[in-house]
Amino acid sequence: MIAKKVLLVGNFGVGKTSLIRRFVLNQFAEDYISTIGVRVSAKVVQYENTAIKLLIWDVAGTSGDEKIPKAYFLGASAAMFVFDVSRIETYLNIDHHLESIKTLSGLQNITIVGNKKDLLTQEELQLVVERVSVNIDLITSAKEDENVENAFLELASQAIK
Amino acid sequence: MKKQTEDNKKDNRFELLRELLLVDDREKFAALSEEIILREKLSKRVQPLVDEKIEDLRINFPEYFGPTITETIKIQIRDSQDEVVEALYPIMGKLIKKSIVSEITKLSDSINRTVKEKFSVQQIVARFLKGKNYDAGVILEQVFEPFIEEVFVIEKDSGLLVGNYTRGSIADKDMVSGMLTAIKSFAEDAFSKEHQNLEDIKFDNFQLTIKNFKSIYIAIATSGVATLAFKDNLADTVDNLAEIILRDRSYLSDEVKLNALIERHFIDSNE
Ligand SMILES: Nc1nc2c(ncn2[C@@H]2O[C@H](COP(=O)(O)OP(=O)(O)O)[C@@H](O)[C@H]2O)c(=O)[nH]1
Ligand SMILES: [Mg+2]
Repeated sequence: MIAKKVLLVGNFGVGKTSLIRRFVLNQFAEDYISTIGVRVSAKVVQYENTAIKLLIWDVAGTSGDEKIPKAYFLGASAAMFVFDVSRIETYLNIDHHLESIKTLSGLQNITIVGNKKDLLTQEELQLVVERVSVNIDLITSAKEDENVENAFLELASQAIK
Repeated sequence: MKKQTEDNKKDNRFELLRELLLVDDREKFAALSEEIILREKLSKRVQPLVDEKIEDLRINFPEYFGPTITETIKIQIRDSQDEVVEALYPIMGKLIKKSIVSEITKLSDSINRTVKEKFSVQQIVARFLKGKNYDAGVILEQVFEPFIEEVFVIEKDSGLLVGNYTRGSIADKDMVSGMLTAIKSFAEDAFSKEHQNLEDIKFDNFQLTIKNFKSIYIAIATSGVATLAFKDNLADTVDNLAEIILRDRSYLSDEVKLNALIERHFIDSNE
């Protein structure tokens, strides 16, 4: 089976871990993760009749001042940047974040996901879409299980490109 | 005085083992040896009985001594938390020590659980072994023969598992391989040690050895008491394996082929 390393990055509290938890069952305890700043989960997805094993690295933080080993970004085939649609500070510097992820990982394309859609009305969401400086690939809710599967399928499709 | 022959020493294996362990638990051992004496009377062939007894000890050690030792360890953990961290995490410990110390209560709980769940004979015995004579070491090595439990061949950057061998079965080996890679990166980052091999990581009931190569690294978990010869042999085997894999890169994309190679390699040369 094809196996791919994929990254989930984004500010603290945007819902990365919640999205993964929706998608896979996790084995490693939270407190452990906070020590080394990453958690790896595995999930097999079917994409266009191919089974792909995703090794999902939930990386805490993207900017240089965090104590995250650069090596976490190496060898990844795709990355998802998650922000919180209800918190402007999580997408305000999105360009900067994306650049640094691209530099660290060597990836060209990054899947952009706005999470916690359940917290906003349709109108408010529309405003967010306009305000975010890049194209949003998917708007999700880990809480209400909306679009979560699709977000990971998109990630899988990026990974095998 | 009768001359001690090799065989005679062998006959006395249990005697020596008893000496090692007796200190704290005279009563239980007295009962055990009484039983043995009784058995000896019934049979002239002592050797099988001794072996059986050692085997029995090995299997039932937790039952015979578990509660006492667990209690001792609990007290030790409470009284010497720093030393316990050092002892349990010789390598990783130093690095994660700070965070562990702050969460030491949680850790001691989990250590206690580990001690209960996966009681490790060789670790306890190793404690008793300190400062004892050489014969005892030989005996214990015979009893706790080292085994290769698992071999992981892992792609360096991505942490993807390219091949593995296991004596038992491991669930989630892909995840374990990823997390191991993350921990390794974290450790290397903390010490800027990229070009050095991490030293052996000792857990309570097995030992992890990591060796770096160009695009892969190999992690080997062993159990039992590793002798120097065993370690040397293991190091050679790992180097040879890496050389074969890196010379013929088709191994890296063919898990079945690689797994067969690993198995041939390790099982033939180490068992
Ligand atoms: N309302 C709502 N809350 C969410 C959603 N996803 C995550 N959360 C909450 O946001 C907080 C942070 O989530 P977490 O997954 O830990 O974020 P991480 O730091 O990016 O891993 C938690 O309290 C979650 O319960 C969502 O889709 N909707
Ligand atoms: Mg998280």
